[in-house]
Amino acid sequence: MEICEGERLIRVLIADDDEHVLDCYRDAFTEKEPTNHMKALDALAAELFDPETDIVDQPKFEIVSCCQGDDAISLAQEAADSGSPFDVVILDVRMPPGIDGVEAGSRIRAMDPDVEIIFVTGFPDVPLEELQRRVPPPIKLHYFDKPLSFTQLVLDVASMVRTH
Amino acid sequence: MAAKGTTWQIVRPRSQIHLFGSAFWSFDHIWDAEVALYHAGFDGQFVNCGASLESLCPIGEKRMLKRTGPGFLQTKVSLTLLGVVAVFTALSYVILRMIIAPAFGDLEIEAAATDIVRVEGAMQTSADNLAAITADWAPWDSIFQYTRGENPAFRKSNLEGLTLENLDLDILAVFAQDGTMMWSKVLVDGAERPTSELGVFNAENATSARLTKHTELTSRTIGIVQTGLGPALISSRAIIRSDDTGPVSGAIVMGQFLNDTRLQRLKERTEVGVEWLFANDGVAASMLPAKAEISPGEMTIDISDAKITSYKMFADINGDPLLLVQTSTPRKISALGTQTVNAGLLFLGIAGVLVTIVMWFLLRHTILSPLELLAAHINRIRESGDLTHRSGLNTSDEIGLLARQFDSMTMEVHDTRQALLDESFKAGKADMAAEVLHNIRNAMTPMINGVERLSRSFEVPSKLRVADAIVELRNPNCAPERREKFLQYLDISFKHVEETSHVASEDLEMVTVQARQVEAILSDQERFANVTPVTEDLPVNEVVSEAAHVIPKGATPAVHLDIDENLADFHVCAHKTGLLQVLGNLILNAFESIQRAEKHSGEIQFRASDAVLDDKPMIRLTVRDNGRGFSQKIGKRIFQRGFTSKEIASSNGLGLHWCANAVAGMGGRIFAESPGEGQGAEFHVLLPAAQGA
Repeated sequence: MEICEGERLIRVLIADDDEHVLDCYRDAFTEKEPTNHMKALDALAAELFDPETDIVDQPKFEIVSCCQGDDAISLAQEAADSGSPFDVVILDVRMPPGIDGVEAGSRIRAMDPDVEIIFVTGFPDVPLEELQRRVPPPIKLHYFDKPLSFTQLVLDVASMVRTH
Repeated sequence: MAAKGTTWQIVRPRSQIHLFGSAFWSFDHIWDAEVALYHAGFDGQFVNCGASLESLCPIGEKRMLKRTGPGFLQTKVSLTLLGVVAVFTALSYVILRMIIAPAFGDLEIEAAATDIVRVEGAMQTSADNLAAITADWAPWDSIFQYTRGENPAFRKSNLEGLTLENLDLDILAVFAQDGTMMWSKVLVDGAERPTSELGVFNAENATSARLTKHTELTSRTIGIVQTGLGPALISSRAIIRSDDTGPVSGAIVMGQFLNDTRLQRLKERTEVGVEWLFANDGVAASMLPAKAEISPGEMTIDISDAKITSYKMFADINGDPLLLVQTSTPRKISALGTQTVNAGLLFLGIAGVLVTIVMWFLLRHTILSPLELLAAHINRIRESGDLTHRSGLNTSDEIGLLARQFDSMTMEVHDTRQALLDESFKAGKADMAAEVLHNIRNAMTPMINGVERLSRSFEVPSKLRVADAIVELRNPNCAPERREKFLQYLDISFKHVEETSHVASEDLEMVTVQARQVEAILSDQERFANVTPVTEDLPVNEVVSEAAHVIPKGATPAVHLDIDENLADFHVCAHKTGLLQVLGNLILNAFESIQRAEKHSGEIQFRASDAVLDDKPMIRLTVRDNGRGFSQKIGKRIFQRGFTSKEIASSNGLGLHWCANAVAGMGGRIFAESPGEGQGAEFHVLLPAAQGA
């Protein structure tokens, strides 16, 4: 992955007990390498046709994933200790058999007050008020219901980091 | 995670206990399943606590219930009462026999002693009277002069004639100072006898001397003397002047024979059965040996079963034993005492038995029977788990109050259990819904991602400038090198589209896999929902009575429910809630059919009978109404899904189709008959007969 000077990777920690869902996260946040055909087409198009649109800089992410709340806490702690804390932590609420995402979020918030925390769940069994009480402040707390649009999620994550 | 052998489940590990019914059956179904509690440990492992209703009963209580079988308390109380009565009777017997009865004997002995004292007193009185007569005659100038030979006329004027008879004397004799008999007279039974036969005055012995010779002015002798004519009480005194001056001029002797006449008088005066026996009497001799040792003045008592005999020996004037007085006292007091004791014992025995019987009936009626009813009631609740069963004890005493409080308590427990199960059911159902939603949404998340990728794939062709390349290729002025590059662009574009299509195909396959996973989740829930409900032994009459409540009170037209009494004899094996809903549906259909017939009043009959279906014993329950009925054409389609007509309509949303499925699910059959429109209808429900019914 090429990183231009002055461009910073957005570090994202993702915890979900469903491996398929984790694959989706990785797929969404990982920039796709253009195939040889695409490179060739882009080269020919630049030579044969007039340029139509401006190239938009896409945000770049560094994804770290796990499938248990305890692992998420450990990874967040390691990142904080190494001086490269995560910008965003995405947590599934239900991750049996270990602790749930709310508990994990609460502990991560305790060690990193600035991290953006996103809760994602398939069933809203924890009221938003309780989430805000356990994982303050509300401005750095976000909530998404499954199934979610990963395209939109990527945009939201990028925007919430840029508003820092 | 299905719980083996039960329809109850915990849907996820929790530190609480959650119960809920086999999902999507009626909530009432909770009551129909055997309750098994599952406790979720912190490690997520489920542990079957095996906490059935019976096992929840405290050990002590179970022991008590085993020990207190029917009639146990009654037997215990009866034996206690009998024991008390037996001890009371034994104590009464001992007291009456050992203390009261001997007291009667003592009283009797005392009475016997008193008798002989009274006889002695009477004899002393007779002696005193005789002494008084003698004392009246002895100090008298006339007899003084007579004994001195100075008054011969005294004999004729005072001694002869009826003097003895008048003085009640048998012996009268006057002696001169020298002992010469001057005059005497002896009467035996009114006939005069020679004085010499007495054998007393004509002999030179101590007795004669004591009687006929007095030297002192106040000399006197009185006592019993054995004469030749029989024993006699004799009094003798010195004759002196009337002014009690001397000299002593002689002696006067007066006597009374102790004969049968005087004995009779003595008996009359003393009212005592007295006999006297003399030392020289042959009869007395035969009776005396045993008492021969009695000294004069002594008294002894001989006690036999029939009487108490008292003896007292009297001496003659010389101090020798002569007269044995015997009194006989019948043992009337002892007999009366024994009779009284026996009567007392009999009374106490009868009273004890009566008190025992009365106490037993009283205890049985007021305490034992109500307690037995209460115990049976508690036992029934323990065995059946039916907390709605009432004791029926409405007495105003403490047991009635206890029963009512127990009923109230069981109702509270029932309500609490119902509420707990309601909450558990709802909580479990909510957990189930949450779990299902969570799983489905998790499965849908990759699907959404796949669809987004597909969407992006479909955008690829539109982004390629294939059309522009073709336009350039059709331009005859296009340079060959440039034409070659356009052709190369087209070639690569097609290959890129082909490559994108391949990726899209993979994405589609992934979406398909996720869709199948969602379908699998739903299938799991469907299987779970189809768990066979628990069946139980149900009395038909109780189910019908309960189901009949679906007709609202005050509904018009008025409908009479005719429930055959013999329904109580039929028991079916069915799922209670399901059967209640089936019957409720049939009853409502019947009611609405009566309404549609526009009748002022209607009747719904319930009948039951034995039947056989596929060689299995069944119970046929018939619900017959006099409502609108239906035609034969309608009858063929009446149980079809979605079928409605003006003649048949269901108001509760379940419908006859559901009824048919529910009855079939219980191993039964349902069918309907009607003679035709306007002639009522019969719905027959065949259900498996309960085993042992």
